[in-house]
Amino acid sequence: MRILMLVPILLLSGCLATAPVTVKFPEVPSELMKSCPDLKQTDQTTKLSDVLKVVTENYSQYHECRVTVDSWMEWYKTQKQIFESVK
Amino acid sequence: MFLLSFIPDSFLIWAINTILLIGLAGTFSSYFIRFIPPLYPYAGLVKTLGIILLVAGVWFRGGYDVEMEWRDRVKEVEAKVAAAEAESKKANTVLQKVYVEKIKLVKDLQVVIQERIVEKEKIIDAECKVAPEAIDILNEAAKNPGASK
Repeated sequence: MRILMLVPILLLSGCLATAPVTVKFPEVPSELMKSCPDLKQTDQTTKLSDVLKVVTENYSQYHECRVTVDSWMEWYKTQKQIFESVK
Repeated sequence: MFLLSFIPDSFLIWAINTILLIGLAGTFSSYFIRFIPPLYPYAGLVKTLGIILLVAGVWFRGGYDVEMEWRDRVKEVEAKVAAAEAESKKANTVLQKVYVEKIKLVKDLQVVIQERIVEKEKIIDAECKVAPEAIDILNEAAKNPGASK
């Protein structure tokens, strides 16, 4: 009788459905995982050149962030194309 | 069909073909057995067993072919996934290279700009005195409004 109880288990094992192929989520370059830092603050000064230095540094920071955002868009576009090719 | 994956393919096809051939032989031989008087009483039994084995053999053979077809499709998709993963890594390498180059350009330009400010410092500061209120406004504008306080 105990052995007979194994029969349904054996038969039901045929209903096991395991996905034979899994697609891993694509890796993101570590450079893109950094968030944009806050803009630099200007120290109290009367010299315009000191102000100008901070302002241009902030401009530079913006350009770096823009490159990062553009790279993210490029990464998404490329990876989407690759993902859609697997069908 | 899940359990079939544990049995070697060569043994499986051999067993299925054997069942199929025995069934086929049994079914056809039952028609000739009736002409052999000593075997005549067994003709019905051989025919029944032959048909059962033939049906089972055909069913197993169909199942086996479907199983093999799925395995081929899995292999095909696995190959596609492996190719896509390799392509993805390659695309990331290219992207990283372009990113590093662009960031270098930005940083190089920043160095040039800073040098020019230092160079022209006296001219810039000669006729201009920045009011503290202007610094406050500038700092206020530079603050991230969405940042937690």
